[in-house]
Amino acid sequence: MARSAPSQSLDHLYRFARNKGAVLGLIIIVIVFAAAIAAPWLIDRDPLRIVYRPEIWPFTNPKYPLGTDSLGRDILALILFGARTTLMISFAAAFTATILGVIIGAFAAWFGGWLDEVLTRLTELFQTIPNILMIMTVVAVLGQTIGNITFAIGITMWPPIARLTRAEYLALRDREFVLACRSMGMGNIRIMVTEILPNAIPPVIVLGSVIIGSSILFESSISFLGLGDPNVASWGALIGDGRTLIRRSWYICAIPGLAIMFTVLAMNLIGDGLNDALNPRLRDR
Amino acid sequence: MSLLSVRSLIVDYETSGGTIHAVNDVSFEIEPGETIGLVGESGCGKSTLGKAVMRLTPATEGRIVLDGKDITQIDQREMRPIRSKMQMIFQDPMNSLNPRRTVGALIGQPLQVAGHSSAEVKARVAELMSQVGLPPDAAPRYPHEFSGGQRQRIGIARALALNPKLVVCDEPVSALDVSIRAQVINLLQDLSDELGVSYLFISHDLTMVQHIADRLLVMYLGSVVETGPAETIWKKPAHPYTKALLAAAPVADPQEMRNRKKFMLQGDLPSPANLPKGCAFSTRCPFAEDRCRAEKPILRRVSGEHRIACHFDLADRMEAGDIPTTPSPKAITAHFEGTSV
Repeated sequence: MARSAPSQSLDHLYRFARNKGAVLGLIIIVIVFAAAIAAPWLIDRDPLRIVYRPEIWPFTNPKYPLGTDSLGRDILALILFGARTTLMISFAAAFTATILGVIIGAFAAWFGGWLDEVLTRLTELFQTIPNILMIMTVVAVLGQTIGNITFAIGITMWPPIARLTRAEYLALRDREFVLACRSMGMGNIRIMVTEILPNAIPPVIVLGSVIIGSSILFESSISFLGLGDPNVASWGALIGDGRTLIRRSWYICAIPGLAIMFTVLAMNLIGDGLNDALNPRLRDR
Repeated sequence: MSLLSVRSLIVDYETSGGTIHAVNDVSFEIEPGETIGLVGESGCGKSTLGKAVMRLTPATEGRIVLDGKDITQIDQREMRPIRSKMQMIFQDPMNSLNPRRTVGALIGQPLQVAGHSSAEVKARVAELMSQVGLPPDAAPRYPHEFSGGQRQRIGIARALALNPKLVVCDEPVSALDVSIRAQVINLLQDLSDELGVSYLFISHDLTMVQHIADRLLVMYLGSVVETGPAETIWKKPAHPYTKALLAAAPVADPQEMRNRKKFMLQGDLPSPANLPKGCAFSTRCPFAEDRCRAEKPILRRVSGEHRIACHFDLADRMEAGDIPTTPSPKAITAHFEGTSV
């Protein structure tokens, strides 16, 4: 059937909505976002402040519904404000990684030759370094701030994006519509951005959503290891602080653990849904 | 002065398997308003030749002169103003039209790139759409909403947007249904009559080209083996390769088809990375002799503008009954003379 632009995006939406898991993922992410945005209004104080006796179990004190941690901080507040940190870092890092990866992959594929050789080797070099070591090193060198953590995760996560983008650009580079653009004298950058990118981006978006999930995990790992920003609440840091009490007060680790799990799961489900919606090769299975 | 003059053009590709000699020493001219048919089987270098003329593939040696200006080695920036003089129509419109752009945007794109204002572009697009027979409401729609023939009309409109003097048509109807090929061919012919545009019409199908071309170039393995007026070559092919191409073309009458004697080539096209010594066609030619395998024939005149690259005279060989692959040479000759056996 004929499809015009608006109905084409409606079509994407429909395919996404048909994937129940993706819808669930989207609902979870929306809730996490809502919590992150609403945090300062719901809790009118610094989440890192000690508010009560330590190790109050959840659902025992109505003032602190999720209890308090080993220092006596409100776990609900830490979770809500932690969502801010986690989402901000992971989305910004994944965005950085995607931009970097797309630029590197596109240039490598389009210009080819020695540039391709150099960029491909660079990509492989980054892939040989274990991600977590790379992130830890960069954070340790630059300092433990949100900005540096974002940067560290961003420059660690781009290689898969670059490889995928390169493959997409290679496939599209010799298509006749690109030749047509060259034959009308269109410049390289213009062809890369306005002609090839819209055709190459759907699988990159899908991978990007998975990268967001991995970024959440890396942010949490870094914080768990004590390399996070000490001035902000973080799910990973909460688990790190609670790990010594895991036998007695396991909820301190379990609550942020569940938050991480559900958020990452939600991102992966969304990735699946996007794949169904955007990847034409898998359509109408 | 010729519109396009190609002199001793050589195009080589470097691949991991060695150097591919895609185009070997090809020379030809296109006069204003003239249509040249470029024929040959897949892999003979005809598309590469088209792309080299369009400066989409770099020429290794030789000269390409368009409208008096040597464009062989000029850079992309100098090339830009010249682009408007020549445009290209591609084989598969599904492939040559960006699926994420509307028809109006696609047709207007060359104008936009050339720096026309959006009002000018819009007016010209409307004009072009009516010229190629697209419905006026097509502009905001997407290429996939159209049939193959209409999509190729979009490609034709885009190629004509800048009023080019030369249009390279790279197998423009091969991807289309047989039923609509004639329509598109006729459209191209009408546009040529109307606008005085010249075509370099690339095809593997001699029968198709013969309808539209004034002159033919028959290519084999990167070289021109026969050239001359389309009518003459169609009626009296002088090169054994052209003869084989014509014999392979189907005819509408099944009776005739069945009775027709085969003149078929043996074997496959040799690799363009490793060209045969002497005549490129010698490995598959039913008449090949020692001389053919040693000495490369140059284009020589048969009559008027009709030239072939063959050491021998085909008619003599056929009469001599010297054709191992065809039982009755007279039948073939008779067939192409238009008489019955």
